[in-house]
Amino acid sequence: MLKKRNNWKTIIALTTALVLVLSGCAGTNKASNTDKNASPAATTDAATAAAPAKGGELTYALATSPDTLDPHRSGLAVAVRAIRTIHDNLVAQLPDGTIQPWLATEWAVSEDGLSYTFKLRQDVKFHDGTPFNAEAVKYNYDRILNPETKAANSAALIRPYKSADVIDEFTVKLNLETPSNAFLGNLSQALVSIVSPTAAQKYGDQLGKNPVGTGPFKFVSWEENSQITVERNPDYKWAPPLVANQEAPYLDKVIFKIAPEEATRIGSVQSGQVLAGETIPPQNILALEKDEKLQLFKSNTQGLPYTLFINENKAPWNELKARQALQAAIDVDAIVKTLYLGTYDRAWSPLTPGTFGYDKSLEGGVKPDLDKANALLDELGYVKGADGVRAKDGKKLTLHYVDGSPNREKRNDIAAIIQQQLKQIGIAVEVEITKDVRTVVYENGNYDIYGNSQVNSDPEALRSFYHSGAVSVGANQNLPGFKNAEVDGWIDQGLIEKDETKRQELYAKVQQAIIEQAVIIPIYVFPYTIAASKTVKDIKFDSLAYPLFNDAFIQK
Amino acid sequence: MKETAVAKTAWPRTRAMRRSAPRTAKLNVSNLLVYAAGFVVIFIVLCALMPGQIAPYSPTEMVMTDIMLPPSLTHFFGTDYYGRDVFSVVVYGSRDSLLIGLASVLIGGLLGASIGALSGFLGGIFDTVIMGFIEVLMTIPGILFALAIAAAMGPSLFNVVLAVALSAVPGYARVFRGQIISVKGRPFITAARSVGAGNLRIFFRHVLPNAWSPLLVMATIGLGTSILIGSGLSFLGLGVIKEIPDWGTLLSQGRGYLTVAWWMSTFPGLAITMLVLSVNLMGDKLRDHIDPKKSRF
Repeated sequence: MLKKRNNWKTIIALTTALVLVLSGCAGTNKASNTDKNASPAATTDAATAAAPAKGGELTYALATSPDTLDPHRSGLAVAVRAIRTIHDNLVAQLPDGTIQPWLATEWAVSEDGLSYTFKLRQDVKFHDGTPFNAEAVKYNYDRILNPETKAANSAALIRPYKSADVIDEFTVKLNLETPSNAFLGNLSQALVSIVSPTAAQKYGDQLGKNPVGTGPFKFVSWEENSQITVERNPDYKWAPPLVANQEAPYLDKVIFKIAPEEATRIGSVQSGQVLAGETIPPQNILALEKDEKLQLFKSNTQGLPYTLFINENKAPWNELKARQALQAAIDVDAIVKTLYLGTYDRAWSPLTPGTFGYDKSLEGGVKPDLDKANALLDELGYVKGADGVRAKDGKKLTLHYVDGSPNREKRNDIAAIIQQQLKQIGIAVEVEITKDVRTVVYENGNYDIYGNSQVNSDPEALRSFYHSGAVSVGANQNLPGFKNAEVDGWIDQGLIEKDETKRQELYAKVQQAIIEQAVIIPIYVFPYTIAASKTVKDIKFDSLAYPLFNDAFIQK
Repeated sequence: MKETAVAKTAWPRTRAMRRSAPRTAKLNVSNLLVYAAGFVVIFIVLCALMPGQIAPYSPTEMVMTDIMLPPSLTHFFGTDYYGRDVFSVVVYGSRDSLLIGLASVLIGGLLGASIGALSGFLGGIFDTVIMGFIEVLMTIPGILFALAIAAAMGPSLFNVVLAVALSAVPGYARVFRGQIISVKGRPFITAARSVGAGNLRIFFRHVLPNAWSPLLVMATIGLGTSILIGSGLSFLGLGVIKEIPDWGTLLSQGRGYLTVAWWMSTFPGLAITMLVLSVNLMGDKLRDHIDPKKSRF
């Protein structure tokens, strides 16, 4: 068995090698489940109030190939960019966090918070002509729960959904296992959007290649590793309040071109081969800002910023003082300014600023202080040796820093800088860059520091990283190995607390405790950035920074 | 090049004498080139041996206020996006690049030569099987072979050396086998056998000394290839991850910045080009020098 796997490894390695060579040594693969680039507060510059021109094709370069266009089975942020154009949700979340009607016109929550009754729009049709109704909603959410669907991220989002009762054709009651404040927000996410029940039954596993929804665009074709085409849905008149145009979109078609090589993607925007391209690296943002023919659309992601988790299950990081030494020695400002050249915001808290409950008071709280860091390590009994590395009882003070490959958002470079910063206080940092984060981190738990981020619409996202009941690593600990009964209690209470102010206070306490106890080092908030020709107008974003093309048009 | 001196005595004397006459050094373009190449190689070897004396800055010092400065008198090659002096990093990086090249040529050459020698000298079914296997390996392009090995074993200096070395083994083995077979058939071997010399004696005293020179040429030229493959692996992120990056890593780190700070990958790239070119030029010269066809007419 083991031998067989090794053979496979070689075969896979060979194939990968070939692919790499053929693709011009690309490598901007973004493939982490938890981590999706995206969010609210659209800073749409330009876009002067010109009358929208109808027609035209918008070519849009994606950074990687989507895994599937079946929203319930996808785990990639890049897939959501296309999924969003084809599918709608029951509700929409605005950038300020409020929930607004979309395919549902109104809803009522029961006193105990265990059931949600939705009244649905009656004029909605799927692209294949199937009518949208209460049965369709029930079918969709049950489909996510059904193990045969092999639901990915959607399964976590739909929780604690239990069952649905069809009250009449356009009224559906959703029943929950436990009350959840995050439920409505989650229902607004593209990964739990509504697919056509007829199509889902017809295509089964293959729905991802033949998606059918109720969205502003209809799926046309998907050429593997080349492009995905969607065309205007002329019947569309149920747009979310996130966009101005409530009717069918202005564009004839949106063509998503798959261009993993960064230089190619940016080059094709500059040369006009495509009208827009996503995920622009900081150094190019600066250069493109000066380009007269181009404009940038930028939107900060929401949820958990890119955060370094310090593994408390590895000595000496179980000691508060050791972690505080890291907190004081790592100069996050310098890292963010150097690598991102002022285009990314620095993170201060386990949550991003746009997320509900974000505690602003943490900003400016942690300051780099080498003397303090040195003093803390001295107190722990670590003495600097001749080589400048601290040691105690003959054991050197090393830190095993794990990061994934390819070098997404310059995260490997963060490791390189931290290696130098920690050298100053006598910690030897071993950096391990691996293609197999799943095994190294999530199965073996073999890391002192590992960084990750998560796009999410609700502070409930904190649970899977800081609640002691979340055991994503080796089935026995959360990423930081953090166990704190008080914090557990606040997170549990936050999920059911109905009073918004009280809920806010609970999450503030959680964030403060995490920073005070130096559980993590928050690094940056990721801005989803699009470069586009100046003729492209009014690309909007949903609350998680996924682009919306309802209002978009091409000026002639 | 101490080996050359030692080995010369083993050559038939007549050949050595005939050669010395027309080969007095003349100053022409090709010679000048070889001298220039020699200087480049010597300089790079010096960089690898004592980088501290040559580099003006520490290769790990990141000056956050001096990021992406263009080349100037204070920073010959400019600074990179960490604020490191590119010249200093390139100087220090020479060590790993050279090490990968030398070590893999040595390991690959020894391994390949042993296989080739055994195969050629023993002949028979052993030869057929081994060479069949080598032929199969030769159908895989060297860089792909190295990539597969590096990807399967994970990134470490030793693995990269091994990957590059193994990818070169088939080439060495085949050339050396051919050479051994050709020497084995020469009359002086038959003569040695007829006076009763044993297999081992014939192999070590007569066959080996007369067969190894093409291998030397191949190794010299192979040095360039190995450095290139090693850099290629680092470029693809399968190389060594260390505080001081080697040239291939530098090249790939700077790639995303080509349009805004060309110097970050251009200079490491130039360093690779210069080294490989110089080594190849010297290898060519060496080949001319000990080419049996040229020395026999």
